[in-house]
Amino acid sequence: MYLYSLTLQQATGILCAINGSFSGGKAQEIIVARGKVLDLLRPDENGKLQTLLSVDIFGAIRSLAQFRLTGAQKDYIVVGSDSGRIVILEYNKEKNTFDKIHQETFGKSGCRRIVPGQYLAIDPKGRAVMIAACEKQKLVYVLNRDTAARLTISSPLEAHKSHTIVYSICGVDCGFDNPIFAAIELDYSEADQDPTGQAANEAQKHLTFYELDLGLNHVSRKWSEQVDNGANLLVTVPGGGDGPSGVLVCAENFVIYKNQGHPDVRAVIPRREDLPAERGVLIVSAAMHKQKSMFFFLLQTEYGDIFKVTLDHDNDRVKELKIKYFDTIPVTSSLCVLKSGFLFAASEFGNHALYQFRAIGDDPDVEASSATLMETEEGFQPVFFQPRKLKNLARIDHVESLMPVMDMKVINLFEEETPQIFSLCGRGPRSSLRILRPGLAISEMAVSQLPGVPSAVWTVKKNVNDEFDAYIVVSFPNATLVLSIGETVEEVSDSGFLDTTPSLAVSLIGDDSLMQVHPSGIRHIREDGRVNEWRTPGKRTIVKVGSNRLQVVIALSGGELIYFEVDMTGQLMEVEKHEMSGDVACLDIAPVPEGRRRSRFLAVGSYDNTIRILSLDPDDCMQILSLQSVSSPPESLLFLEVQASTGGEDGADHPASLFLNAGLQNGVLFRTVVDMVTGQLSDARSRFLGLRAPKLFSVIVRGKRAMLCLSSRPWLGYIHQGHFLLTPLSYETLEYAASFSSDQCAEGVVAVAGDALRVFTIERLGETFNETTIPLRYTPRKFVLQPKRKLLVIIESDQGAFTAEEREAAKKECFDAAGMAENGNADQMENGDDEEENPLSDEQYGYPKAEAEKWVSCIRVLDPRTTQTTCLLELQDNESAFSICTVNFHDKEYGTLLAVGTAKGLQFWPKRSFEAGYIHIYRFKEDGKVLELLHKTQVEGVPLALCQFQGRLLAGIGPVLRLYDLGKKRLLRKCENKLFPNTITSIQTYRDRIYVGDMQESFHYCKYRRDENQLYIFADDTVPRWLTAAHHVDFDTVAGADKFGNVYFVRLPQDVSDEIEEDPTGGKIKWEQGKLNGAPNKVEEIVQFHIGDVVTCLHKASLIPGGGECIIYGPAMGALLPFTSRDDVDFFSHLEMHMRQEHPPLCGRDHMAYRSAYFPVKDVIDGDLCEQFPTLPMDLQRIKSFEIALMKGMDNDLRVIEDWPC
Amino acid sequence: MSVFGGDSWAREAQYRKRRVDDLLLEDFEASAYKKLSNGKFTCLVCPHNPVFDTPLVLSMHSKGPRHKAAESRRKERELWRQEEISKRLAMSNCVTSTSGSNVPYQQCTNGRKPLIERTRKAASEIFSNDIIEQRNKCRKPEGESVISSCVYGQSIQWKECPIETEVPQKEVVVDQVQQLDYRGRQERELKFTAAGWKRDCHGRWFKDENVEFDSDEEDPNVILNGN
Repeated sequence: MYLYSLTLQQATGILCAINGSFSGGKAQEIIVARGKVLDLLRPDENGKLQTLLSVDIFGAIRSLAQFRLTGAQKDYIVVGSDSGRIVILEYNKEKNTFDKIHQETFGKSGCRRIVPGQYLAIDPKGRAVMIAACEKQKLVYVLNRDTAARLTISSPLEAHKSHTIVYSICGVDCGFDNPIFAAIELDYSEADQDPTGQAANEAQKHLTFYELDLGLNHVSRKWSEQVDNGANLLVTVPGGGDGPSGVLVCAENFVIYKNQGHPDVRAVIPRREDLPAERGVLIVSAAMHKQKSMFFFLLQTEYGDIFKVTLDHDNDRVKELKIKYFDTIPVTSSLCVLKSGFLFAASEFGNHALYQFRAIGDDPDVEASSATLMETEEGFQPVFFQPRKLKNLARIDHVESLMPVMDMKVINLFEEETPQIFSLCGRGPRSSLRILRPGLAISEMAVSQLPGVPSAVWTVKKNVNDEFDAYIVVSFPNATLVLSIGETVEEVSDSGFLDTTPSLAVSLIGDDSLMQVHPSGIRHIREDGRVNEWRTPGKRTIVKVGSNRLQVVIALSGGELIYFEVDMTGQLMEVEKHEMSGDVACLDIAPVPEGRRRSRFLAVGSYDNTIRILSLDPDDCMQILSLQSVSSPPESLLFLEVQASTGGEDGADHPASLFLNAGLQNGVLFRTVVDMVTGQLSDARSRFLGLRAPKLFSVIVRGKRAMLCLSSRPWLGYIHQGHFLLTPLSYETLEYAASFSSDQCAEGVVAVAGDALRVFTIERLGETFNETTIPLRYTPRKFVLQPKRKLLVIIESDQGAFTAEEREAAKKECFDAAGMAENGNADQMENGDDEEENPLSDEQYGYPKAEAEKWVSCIRVLDPRTTQTTCLLELQDNESAFSICTVNFHDKEYGTLLAVGTAKGLQFWPKRSFEAGYIHIYRFKEDGKVLELLHKTQVEGVPLALCQFQGRLLAGIGPVLRLYDLGKKRLLRKCENKLFPNTITSIQTYRDRIYVGDMQESFHYCKYRRDENQLYIFADDTVPRWLTAAHHVDFDTVAGADKFGNVYFVRLPQDVSDEIEEDPTGGKIKWEQGKLNGAPNKVEEIVQFHIGDVVTCLHKASLIPGGGECIIYGPAMGALLPFTSRDDVDFFSHLEMHMRQEHPPLCGRDHMAYRSAYFPVKDVIDGDLCEQFPTLPMDLQRIKSFEIALMKGMDNDLRVIEDWPC
Repeated sequence: MSVFGGDSWAREAQYRKRRVDDLLLEDFEASAYKKLSNGKFTCLVCPHNPVFDTPLVLSMHSKGPRHKAAESRRKERELWRQEEISKRLAMSNCVTSTSGSNVPYQQCTNGRKPLIERTRKAASEIFSNDIIEQRNKCRKPEGESVISSCVYGQSIQWKECPIETEVPQKEVVVDQVQQLDYRGRQERELKFTAAGWKRDCHGRWFKDENVEFDSDEEDPNVILNGN
């Protein structure tokens, strides 16, 4: 089996983010690392974040830093990755790419303990960079400029110290003195030697300064001092005239200012009032903002509260450190304060947000200060605060993030053309069920019913210089309706259009006159209201029309073409006639090129399966320039011109080019390039769009021409980040469409479907899926489908949280208390009142924290169509749900039942322990909408996996696989096998086989023998895999994913499988035994691929109607598609090979090594790499395609890539 | 500690021990020793059949001079026997070729494995019956067919005895009715085994001590014997 791996939607969680001006000048940009993808984001003038560039680097990005050489206008990017190399990138504005400036190798690849890459620190003046490992190694590179002002990098200087763990590093701002780097370190050499553990208990963290002596070209440990053992993060304090220099050490509960030769200045971090006493407060992300006269820090705690930290200093002496409550936003992995007044909050889990500063926290608020720090016998006196609504920040945009996806299923529940992806996302209060549909999201602006069923719709402007459209013209089978666009859309009768006949085309012609083409003639309405009417000769009727602003071609029945042009006076003049051999199926004229009087090309589609290009030049008017035969009669034609552009928002250099698109009657979209001079057609590509013949319309998307194709579903062809994308829209079937522009909606589409007129806009270009989000209460764990009623049953659980009732009670109490105490304070009172109306959203503020051993959990029945929860059962007694399945017991009267595996009082620290495990059995009532507990059975472990099997319930309880039958009061244990190595986490069944996934030991194939009432393991895997996801593929094959980011397939060899199945007496399976307690047979690994991201769910589905099945994995949505022909495999493996050579990954990780990070890649071709082919320079592309074609003997170009079904 | 259901360390230890023993015994010819019912081993080569406690002692014995002598004698005898057989076979072949009848040859080959031959015949009969039956039945869902394949396997084991006496005498129709009956009974019995009932050596049903039962569970002793 050969597979093609393709990412459908890149990982959405952000691990780290930096901001700066990467394109130079005043522009503020953000660079984010999403696992293996480096993205460049920029907030546009409307405050919406736009992704300018997204590059897959085929390596794990571990850290990012930006620096600017003194006096330069532009920031460079330093990337620390798993490549064992330091890479410096520059953003190339012209080509919209990242250019690699330097790549220096220093160690082995992979994420290792002592190979640097985990931490990066930059000298604030941009003179040096330190790259550090978690342990021992630190390297310093000196950055400089050569005579041509290019960036140079020195050979590395070592600042190693063995037996040292590094927690955080940062550069110290000391002006133009020798650069200094600070690090929080812990020396474990003594602890390692001491078996009693005393030294380990007494181990002490130190803050160490490393000085780079630029004169001696040498790094030395300059200063080291003890620091709080809770210290976890360092933040640079401005120096060199702007501030006192030194660092802020963020520790548990404290922020400490430290500098060499300066006493510590310490302030306590304010705590939330409802926080349990044993919980500390840690800072998880920090940002520094510096203006000319002042600077401040924003520090975010692990609970999401942001504090503003200011230093009161007198030159180098810090007098006071103040920590003031600023605002509360969801916990972030990075905070970026942009100079343009925005705050970008990047989260590892949940949506990212862009905030605008409304204030910088100058108002009075809860504040802790080093001056008022009180030390008592019990330690330092804490400061408390109550979170409140956003005061200093205002959210203006958010970026959807699916991470983490806990479970996912691809089902066509709504019976649409393509199945929907149901995914459980997020954690804690930000968790949600998201329904993803392939396609671009649209937002519907208006829907209005029309008096009949319309056949077509157009929009026209009154004048060519108008910004907005003036009329919407709707054609019915026997009439035409004209609607004027203004404040409202209403019918008008004074437009001059003939309303008693259907229309074939309506458009602006010349500069300011309108044209209506109807079956019996052309009506030309001049600006002053004069109407010229051209009548068809004899009894012939007009069947098709093609027009642009200055040219009109009509096709009469019988196949005669008549060509008109607008002359100098604005008059429509007949120029030429041409008789075609048969009826004309469709027509289109290319748009008038800039600065010209007419377009040269007319495309005519005929019913004899051909498309002809005719010349419209006066010299050779109506001469056939080229001819293309197609597979089916064309239904619609559209010329799409891509204008020449150099650089710009979203693209590299494009030479002007003209594409001819044809929608064929068999549902295929056919696209060819039209030579701008000769009219020759070349490079034909086709793609199946749907069951109906696609109708093509030109629309405007982001100021550029795009193509709307209406087949059985609408598709949009547009240019995104320099590539032409053809993506389905997530919308119903449309009949006819036109672009629409009014002052409410600048770039919209008006379309007719059924008897309704619809106006909509297309949003979030470049995305693959559009989402419907349904919020959930706790972190979702798993879900199942209730097959009959098509309801989803979801289990949710959270550790260290309060139940909904407890929270409600606490909140009420808190508000009551606040109301009582703050009676005199009007401001507070007002605040309180506000909150009562609209209590603090948990999504933003998080749940109040409880003790770690406290669990909350619920079972939810949800109707995905109405998005309503029909039943929500909170589990009592500290129980939490871990597994779920539906089960039909044989011979029992209840029908489908629901089994839920729970654990009571589960604890992971200091040792994994629990009070009890249970399996609950629920029955569905009221049409499956409500659950009723039938009984619960105590078991001796946590049931992590449940599955129905032959009318009974299989449960994986710790290392035991057990078969249960339904009893009156409890489940009855019927059979068990205790020979599994660790913990069973997944069970799948097919016929009489059971595929058991063990937490650490991959898959075990089992069989149940009814005559002996025994479960036998007959095959297992040779590789110990830490399984995170499993899916049954076929009788002998299972797909799995391990926690290191590998996806693999294992298969039982055919002969072994036959032997097992043809064992009539069953003696073989019973008495055969393997070596070393293993199973007698071994499965073979047939597919292996490193995804680079933990895969939590696998599902087999077909995403396009009629397409082959593929394996879809999450959370970084990707698909593994099986190849169907050997030729394709050969072609793609050659292409992959060439791409590896010609386009090595950006951050220096070898592509092959990356995909084989844990096990050698086997039989999977990396589609993400192959899809980078169009980003190669054009001449290289040609050479490569030629080479591949030569090697393969194939007349093949890259159409295979584009035709690939996703 | 329970030793049922393959669930304890004891079973694993047993496995391991048995495995070591197996490995030790691999060197011997199977016909050179016999494992007694009490777990001891006896040497079949030596004329006085000495008994040994473990495979280890057996292996020591087999290296001794007396055993060696006995072995060589045995080999000699075996060789002589082979010679004799081939001689007689050759003679009988001569007879068949002249008389045109192959009866003696058949006797010669069949006579050596009569039981196996009979079993094979019975099995093939059952199989052919099954196939006919399966074709007659309307199509079953996939899951069930696998269960039924289990049943066939079962029936082979059980059917050896009755076929011997009954098949040749009874009429075909009666036989089929009986078979259906038999199958129904099999199915019911299987249901009970799957539910955790076991049979003792008298054919009585008892509850497996490791399996849980509902309070009003049907008793196969009553139901099956009642029929």
